[in-house]
Amino acid sequence: MSSGKCRQIVGLILLASLACTALSCSVVSSNELYFGNPVPPKRNILRYVSGDEPASLDPAISDGQPEARLYMALYEGLVEYDPKTLAPRPALAERWHINNDSSEFTFHLRHNGRWSNGDPIDANDFVYSFRRALAKETASRNVSLTLYLKYAQAYNEQHVFVRDPKTGQFLLAKDFDESLPAEPLSARPLDAAHPEYLPDPDEPNPHPDTAFHQKMHTPLRLTLPGTEKARTKRLDANPKLKAAVAGKELVPVTAEDLGVEAVDNYTVRITLHQSGPFFLGLLAHQVFRLVPRKVVEKYGATWTQPEHIVTCGPFKLKTWIPYDKLVLERDPMYWDAATVKLDELYFYPIIDQHTVMNMYKVGELDAVYNHAVPNPWLHVLQDKKDYMDAVEAAIDYLVMNTTRPPLNDVRVRKAFNLSIDKQAYAAWRRIVKPLTAFTPEGIFAGYPQPKGPAFDPAAARRLLGDAGYPVNQNADGSFSCPKFPVGEVEFIYNTQGANRSVSEWMQAQWKQNLGITVPLRTMEWKTYLDQRSNLDYKGFSRGAWGADYMDPFTFLSLFYIGGRSDTGWVDQKYIAMLDEANRTLDQKKRYELLAKAEAYMLDQQPIIPLDTASVNWLKKPYVKGMYPNAASLYAWKYVYIERDQSKWDFGTPSLAAD
Amino acid sequence: MLRFILRRLLITIPTILVVITITWGLIKLAPGNFYSGEKPLSPAVEQSIREKYGLDKPWYQQYARTMWTIIGHLDFGTSLRYEGQSVNSIIRRSLPVSATIGILAYLLALVVGITVGSIAALKQNSMWDYGSMAIAMLGISIPNFVLGPILVLIFSLTLYWVPPSRWNGFPSRNLILPVLTLSVVYISYIARLTRAGMLEVLGSDYIRTARAKGLSEKDVVIRHALRGGLMPVISYTGPALAFLLTGTVVVERIFALPGLGNYFIQASLNRDEPLIIGIVAFIAITLLLMNLLVDIAYAFLDPRVRYN
Amino acid sequence: MAADRKPDHDDLIHIPPEMAIAEADVRPEEAGDFVRGTSLWRDAWRRLLKNKLAVFGLVVVVLVTIASIVGPTLIQRIFGFTPDYIPSHDLRLTRSFPPFTGPDGEFSWAHPMGTDNAGRDQLARVLQGGQISLFVAFIATLVSLVIGISYGAIAGYFGGRIDNVMMRIVDVLYSLPYVIVVIVLLSMFRSQTPRGQLILLFIALGSVSWLTMARIVRGQVLSLKNQEFVLAARATGVSGSRIIFRHLVPNTLGPVIVYATLTIPQIMLTEAFLSFLGFGVQAPLASWGSLATEGIANIGIFPWQLIFPGLTMALTLFSLNFLGDGLRDALDPQMRTV
Repeated sequence: MSSGKCRQIVGLILLASLACTALSCSVVSSNELYFGNPVPPKRNILRYVSGDEPASLDPAISDGQPEARLYMALYEGLVEYDPKTLAPRPALAERWHINNDSSEFTFHLRHNGRWSNGDPIDANDFVYSFRRALAKETASRNVSLTLYLKYAQAYNEQHVFVRDPKTGQFLLAKDFDESLPAEPLSARPLDAAHPEYLPDPDEPNPHPDTAFHQKMHTPLRLTLPGTEKARTKRLDANPKLKAAVAGKELVPVTAEDLGVEAVDNYTVRITLHQSGPFFLGLLAHQVFRLVPRKVVEKYGATWTQPEHIVTCGPFKLKTWIPYDKLVLERDPMYWDAATVKLDELYFYPIIDQHTVMNMYKVGELDAVYNHAVPNPWLHVLQDKKDYMDAVEAAIDYLVMNTTRPPLNDVRVRKAFNLSIDKQAYAAWRRIVKPLTAFTPEGIFAGYPQPKGPAFDPAAARRLLGDAGYPVNQNADGSFSCPKFPVGEVEFIYNTQGANRSVSEWMQAQWKQNLGITVPLRTMEWKTYLDQRSNLDYKGFSRGAWGADYMDPFTFLSLFYIGGRSDTGWVDQKYIAMLDEANRTLDQKKRYELLAKAEAYMLDQQPIIPLDTASVNWLKKPYVKGMYPNAASLYAWKYVYIERDQSKWDFGTPSLAAD
Repeated sequence: MLRFILRRLLITIPTILVVITITWGLIKLAPGNFYSGEKPLSPAVEQSIREKYGLDKPWYQQYARTMWTIIGHLDFGTSLRYEGQSVNSIIRRSLPVSATIGILAYLLALVVGITVGSIAALKQNSMWDYGSMAIAMLGISIPNFVLGPILVLIFSLTLYWVPPSRWNGFPSRNLILPVLTLSVVYISYIARLTRAGMLEVLGSDYIRTARAKGLSEKDVVIRHALRGGLMPVISYTGPALAFLLTGTVVVERIFALPGLGNYFIQASLNRDEPLIIGIVAFIAITLLLMNLLVDIAYAFLDPRVRYN
Repeated sequence: MAADRKPDHDDLIHIPPEMAIAEADVRPEEAGDFVRGTSLWRDAWRRLLKNKLAVFGLVVVVLVTIASIVGPTLIQRIFGFTPDYIPSHDLRLTRSFPPFTGPDGEFSWAHPMGTDNAGRDQLARVLQGGQISLFVAFIATLVSLVIGISYGAIAGYFGGRIDNVMMRIVDVLYSLPYVIVVIVLLSMFRSQTPRGQLILLFIALGSVSWLTMARIVRGQVLSLKNQEFVLAARATGVSGSRIIFRHLVPNTLGPVIVYATLTIPQIMLTEAFLSFLGFGVQAPLASWGSLATEGIANIGIFPWQLIFPGLTMALTLFSLNFLGDGLRDALDPQMRTV
């Protein structure tokens, strides 16, 4: 009796294993054209996953990309990203004029802009939204992108001006700081003989003068920290400044000092304290999108809750159930409502990549966010006709802690760079392109991108020898570097995604080419971020950066004032080189100067470039008007569901501008 | 007895406060901040955020403020990660999700488990008995984080019958897989318990008496055997419900459900202080009350147990 | 119908106790036999060997353990690859292949469980993962037994205020947010070596596993301590610790063993969860939990990555459960609940 039972159980186990093996082999048949069957939804809706639950529906506060895509549906700013090229396109501003050194911008708003509650949108809404985004109390994560506005930083950090009570004159920044860039046109007194703007036959008076305009057109005033302690520290460091400030009165920098002005109801003028040729592209960023003053002031932090929220984008909020779904519906009040094709837009907040992929496969989703396809799946999915394959304005690199030995020696850093075969690395990653610079390849047309050194393990070993860590070749051809303090370096990474395999790959390269085995250490995300940003790590870590706007400066500014590279590398010469480039009016010349700065930074090697990333997502072939652009930001109003199968996308749609 | 219950209820309050205090301390000790992300923030921005949420104050002031809002207002404040959402509203929203899954799974387990267990007992030593008990053992042996994805693989990714994940309200087809995954262990337990209980009862004198009186087999089974045999199942319900409270975490994660457990894990990973404290306090209260109930039940069911 | 089979009292005695729970419980000749002396273990062993399913469980557990220990070396001898061997010289090989499949889709004996994402042999990884998982589960269960039994027995035996305080401490520990506890633990004791990480993992897992055990033991002791044999022992002047560990604890072994077998999957689950969060074993080591976690992430396309570690885990737990049931019956025939 019992032995029969045993036999039954063994049989059961065998049966189960057989079934499992059969199941294993049956799942993915590689000859399907698409991943899962493409069946369009019955209604005119798009179901999308943008990533985790949004931190907030307030466009000023959050800096995440999942949120950015959501804000593009809910809010609009002066300009909007082109669906293919991401170049700034007219949005609430119909047209604009830029002065001759890109330090002042005048925008002419369309007159039919409306909030979702029907209220008209005018220039004052922009002034309010910009001031609010920069106010300290808002605690926006995006402040570093707005600091080009005149007095933005001083306002955000609650600095003070210094005024002579007798003359009413303010102390000027240039008198105390030699490193300041030369004055842009916007800081010089208006001069009728030398017009600031190029003439426009269609618009005889594109930049009406106002009292505020006059005030902006003065040299940059000196600002000092608002708190006593920080101010004293600053003054003690500069005796000349201390003497000049003595006996003067301190005037707080207020929102009214910020370089944004409602010239009239439908004209917005923005003044920068420096030349910003890239600034127009930056204006499409979420932090510059409009928020409704009345609602924000009435409800405070809860203004984004479904019962209060008022928006200005092509879609408005219909339902929001956190960690479940966010449903947006077409906003009939939107000025361009006729262009909007989708009735509803679903955002499902989902954390796990594989859950997203499963839902896409069974047809519960019409498109997924960028990088949703796990790396190991690529060799199966890459050839599917719904796989989106295009270059991305993003790079992957390794961060080094340059403040700790042995990596504080540039020769050691260079040796670690030279001993990574980036060609092989890119081939292994399948979809990325090898990179030796710090700007992505093939993104910025006309940019003379510098080239870093190619893979050269022999030179790397020589450099290590020069630095005092000779590399010996063993009898079996392998290398060893006995003097190198392996205990002083490690490679930290967070557990998610492909990080582990990439780290293992790097470890293998260094072991093979230098004879150094860098220990790996995985940790939970926030712990990892904490150690990296406090330079509380020794050795290496992973870095990735995506463009905030379409200009090389968005990458190079990582090592600029206010940027944080997590390497500890700060170099005044590099900062001065970037300043010089940004002052240059001629685009070609500017690019050359930026490239020169980039080459200088690469030579200092605070980072090890790895690859230009590649977009990596799926969309069903019936989803049209959604392009795999370089920043994965989609202007939702152009997206639609195509029911005619002959018009479906077959492969990645073309990104050429039309 | 009443005094015992009152005393335990009273001691619950300081226990919860201790839990909250330790949790608060742990969060302060944990590296990282709720606001850190892939894009590094400048020190000035960090400073503004810290000031906005009162994190720039000395620790004892922060602690006092936290405790004051909790004790004084019975309010856990606003989530840091989910701007503008109060902790109370998050708990109120996520609890029904967990409860729906848990209760449905337990009901399913009761129905299937009792049926299977009774059949096994009535047909003792038959193929039915061995087969169902072996399957029950298998059910206990497959961890639910393995079972869930395999069910997804079979029923959604291969057969396209049901959605693979996501909450879609009640009732919906989305519930099928999570409820099934969660219930398998309980089905197995209840089947085993029912079988054992029934066997004991079927062998007892009063069933023999009932049969001797000439009652029909149906009446014997349903009126007498089942009623007596289910005692162990009933006493198992208490601990099972406590398990369900914690057991749903894995299922919620696998099926991307916005339940309490999922929020708890995310809040911990996000260092979302008010939300962590809120959920910890909520779970602690629930657990303490359940333990109290179990202890009271002990005292009632087992006269050998005495308190004092 | 069922009416034909009237399970009477005599019948019950002859039913082998393997399948479950209560049928073998009533053995009148042993009722009240609290002082078993030295023959307890030999008796238990004899009864265990009579139970075919328990023996089956024991054999499988032993086999899996042996396979985990010698398997990786054996595979290295035969096929030439270690659990962490990545065939990086050939990009075609560094990806996931189905079971019994070569790089061009042909039949091959090289990888009976397929390969993982980096082209590593799954069988070798599952076996090596078994080393870690079984070891971790064993240690954590041991911790849970030692701490849980002592703590629970002491609380239950002394009762009153001591019991109250001790149990409130358990309540507090039970309610703490486990993820945060682990985060703090790992950041305070930063370990540099894989072994250090493993020890931290033991601490992290052991620290929670004993709580429920303590509750169960306490409950048992509470109901036992007023029975005659304890009162008799006390009356004859036996010391408290002796009563607890010689008289009370042996009588709680039944539920303790059942719960211990339940602890093992729980530990594996927690370990998998910790791996998922980045606190588990450090790469390139693997455990069943970490393999299953990776398998879940690839379920949509490489299901063998979940199925084989999952199946191995299920088979082991299946056997452990039979073994646990058998042990329970062998040690304490009076047991009647799960």
